[in-house]
Amino acid sequence: MSYAYLFKYIIIGDTGVGKSCLLLQFTDKRFQPVHDLTIGVEFGARMITIDNKLIKLQIWDTAGQEAFRSITRSYYRGAAGALLVYDITRRETFNHLTTWLEDARQHSNSNMVIMLIGNKSDLESRREVKKEEGDAFAREHGLIFMETSARTAANVEEAFINTAKEIYEKIQEGVFDINNEANGIKIGPQHSPSNASLPPGSQSSSPSSGCC
Amino acid sequence: MFRSRSWFGGGLWRNKNPHSLEHLKYLHNVLSKNQIVSENNRGLLVETLRSIAEILIWGDQNDSSVFDFFLEKNMLSFFLNILKQKCGSYVCVQLLQTLNILFENIRSETSLYYLLSNNHVNLIIVHKFDFSDEEVMAYYISFLKTLSLKLNGHTIHFFYNDNTNDFPLYTEAIKFFKHPESMVRIAVRTLTLNVYRVQDASMLRFIRNKTAVPYFSNLVWFIGNHVLELDTCVRNDADHQSQTRLSDLVAEHLDHLHYLTDILNLNIEALNDVLIDHLLNKLFVPLYIFSLLPPHSNAIKEGNTRVSSVVSLFLLSQVFLISRQQPLVQDLAHIILRGTSVNGENSSVLAQAAPVFVAPTKTLEESLDCDHVLTSGAGNLGFYYNNLNITDEEKEQMLAQEAPKIFLDVIVNSLDCTENDYSALFALCLLYAISHNAGISPDLLDGLLIPSSNPEQKPRYTSWLVQKLINIITLSCQLGCKVRLVTLELTISLLLRLTLKDRVSLLTDAHLAAVLAAREESTSLLRNYYKREDIFGDMFESEDEELRKKPLNVEWLMMDSNILLPPTGTPLTGIEFNKRLPCGEVERARRAIRVFLLVRDLCLKLSGEKETQLPLTNRNDCVQSNAVLDLTNSDLLSCNVIGPDGVRNHRFLVVESNQIMLVVPVPGQLGFGQPTLSALLHDLDVTADKQDVKSLYISAKYTTAGPMVNTRFIFDDSIRCMAAQQR
Repeated sequence: MSYAYLFKYIIIGDTGVGKSCLLLQFTDKRFQPVHDLTIGVEFGARMITIDNKLIKLQIWDTAGQEAFRSITRSYYRGAAGALLVYDITRRETFNHLTTWLEDARQHSNSNMVIMLIGNKSDLESRREVKKEEGDAFAREHGLIFMETSARTAANVEEAFINTAKEIYEKIQEGVFDINNEANGIKIGPQHSPSNASLPPGSQSSSPSSGCC
Repeated sequence: MFRSRSWFGGGLWRNKNPHSLEHLKYLHNVLSKNQIVSENNRGLLVETLRSIAEILIWGDQNDSSVFDFFLEKNMLSFFLNILKQKCGSYVCVQLLQTLNILFENIRSETSLYYLLSNNHVNLIIVHKFDFSDEEVMAYYISFLKTLSLKLNGHTIHFFYNDNTNDFPLYTEAIKFFKHPESMVRIAVRTLTLNVYRVQDASMLRFIRNKTAVPYFSNLVWFIGNHVLELDTCVRNDADHQSQTRLSDLVAEHLDHLHYLTDILNLNIEALNDVLIDHLLNKLFVPLYIFSLLPPHSNAIKEGNTRVSSVVSLFLLSQVFLISRQQPLVQDLAHIILRGTSVNGENSSVLAQAAPVFVAPTKTLEESLDCDHVLTSGAGNLGFYYNNLNITDEEKEQMLAQEAPKIFLDVIVNSLDCTENDYSALFALCLLYAISHNAGISPDLLDGLLIPSSNPEQKPRYTSWLVQKLINIITLSCQLGCKVRLVTLELTISLLLRLTLKDRVSLLTDAHLAAVLAAREESTSLLRNYYKREDIFGDMFESEDEELRKKPLNVEWLMMDSNILLPPTGTPLTGIEFNKRLPCGEVERARRAIRVFLLVRDLCLKLSGEKETQLPLTNRNDCVQSNAVLDLTNSDLLSCNVIGPDGVRNHRFLVVESNQIMLVVPVPGQLGFGQPTLSALLHDLDVTADKQDVKSLYISAKYTTAGPMVNTRFIFDDSIRCMAAQQR
């Protein structure tokens, strides 16, 4: 299927916070774990629609590669979006966010959209990190924030799609250099940059992107 | 989701519980009845494959009979069967995804061994998928990567076959090492590292004998071509037009170096030998080091591929900053520091021996398909290098007397900043990086890039090099010079490295005098601005703080592609202040301040004196919040403080010498107060509220409680408000 853009995402965060489950939940809704089953996957792709445009999301989990510096470095650089995930039932995964964020900021291109995700929101009784804390962290570091549950699928769609919307807006504003694939954005096979970046009519979110 | 299945006449087999052996039996039946893939059953097959993944994972965690059934019926062979039919990406992708899920989620080792035990997985790996389909490619390479994460001393034998001497997981993966899609390349690199670290002797022998030369020679060629691209980008971009492109290429080069370092750090000797051999002889020496020589030098053959000397200095600095692998950096540093044209006048000898940057004779695929075992063949540097490698002291001396060190000469000559400091900055970086590289033996640097440590002699340093550095410092203190601040800072840092031994300066009187003269010069330059700028004091303080906050980090400096472009003055390029020339009077004043501070600091370090005068104000002098103060004789002003968040607090305001404090009474200690906040008076910015004579707005960059922004102070009446403002 042909798409207007392809956005590459990475998922980062401590092990066991449910990164690969989120990924599978989003890309393959078949696996709504009605039963007590945790299934994850390291890669997935899915088509979504934003602003009447087909956008393909490719999500790469970076788990298990922390031992090699070269690998994490290149992953960050190749992505347009990152989901930074912690587990609301484990305080330490929240405490490590700063390190993850520093890493991401150091290696990624400055336009990368980062979404903070507090996962396992279904486990309210075991909650160790308040929602307000996630909110505050996100505000302080300029991230979008959401609590999700890979188990119940709550907010999973929204998390991935809102990130895509943010990237899409940045493209419209001309912040992303879409001709440079190193940014983690690819223009679809049949879309030349000239007509893909300018939506017809008033859809554009930035009326004055070309000023000063 | 189950509805889709009902049009298939299998109602009999349908089972309400998707997680049960019964359901797997039903799915098996579906597969057996649909062995031929067609338009009609594709949807069904995909749905079946999905269900199989789910049920197997459930079985792995809950009911072993599920797995037994799967193996007994040899269900993986159905997968292969489907693949062989060129069934299109829709089914292929789901199949790969199912396999991904399987291998990613299986916890029990027995299940894993069973899955791998027949050769099906290897047959799937070598299957010729339609790799032009980007989705198939992505799922395929993720599948291989997932498998590589499962490798260990036991599982390796399912993938690497001793007898047939093949290892499809690895050989198929590395064929994609230069895939245009970066994520694919990263996955390949991850896989290779995961394979190497298994440390299985016979597998590594295979890697070494069968794949190392093909892979590394092609990898090195790939990196070299990136470097050429980078060079072209620098050459064609005098106007700073393609900064993003350039920064990508620089980051890419760093990625390569980090990858190579990650391999070398696994310390697999047999592999490292081949890799280092290729890196030195096929890339670093021919392309990086030989590009240092002027284009028409005798030592260079006509038509050799080369990059500009600026780029080559930059790349070499990166190498020395990142890699600390002794065999690599030691040899490289040896060539750079001691490399001579072998025999003085007869430099044609060098030309014969000089390695050339050329493409490997075969592509990776070709050489992997080749049956005969390839042995190492990169080392054509033999003669050239062996000649240098004489450890015999006599010969060493003879060599040193006779022949000029061709590479070091070029580097040192680049330190001349009279025109500009474009290449000087990189030459400094390179020398700095070499002198700090822990992989290089101190013998090589001794007396050259670090003070000599021969206990029998008086410690000495490289006088002629230090003279060059002092020239840069002297030049920096002249009006309108072309030396950037970062160059000066690096020069100073290198100078200290060369001349400080155990924190004591070895500098001769003449050299010290030259440094002191430079400080005088910088002081008099500063005087011009002292009179001219009203806010000189504030500027001075802020520059001092800036220098303190951001000490030079050479590794970060070398990640900045902007410095590869010719030095410029305009801030419109977005280049940081210290990495460009000043623009306008104010920036020239800032520059003069920084030069003064840097040179002053150098003098302090050389003389071993302690800093006593800076920073001008020490904010640690502020009264800390936990102090309890006797305020019986102080003027206290009662006021209400309203922060930007609207929170209202009642406090007493005290002004003591140069500080302002907000205090609360201490319970039980009459006349005593505890400060909740204190700040230096000169940090305050006070404005009166035009609508309310009882109020003041106060901001302060620094307080003991963090920055204070536009906080409203309401006093009891206008008189007290005025009193507060005046203080």
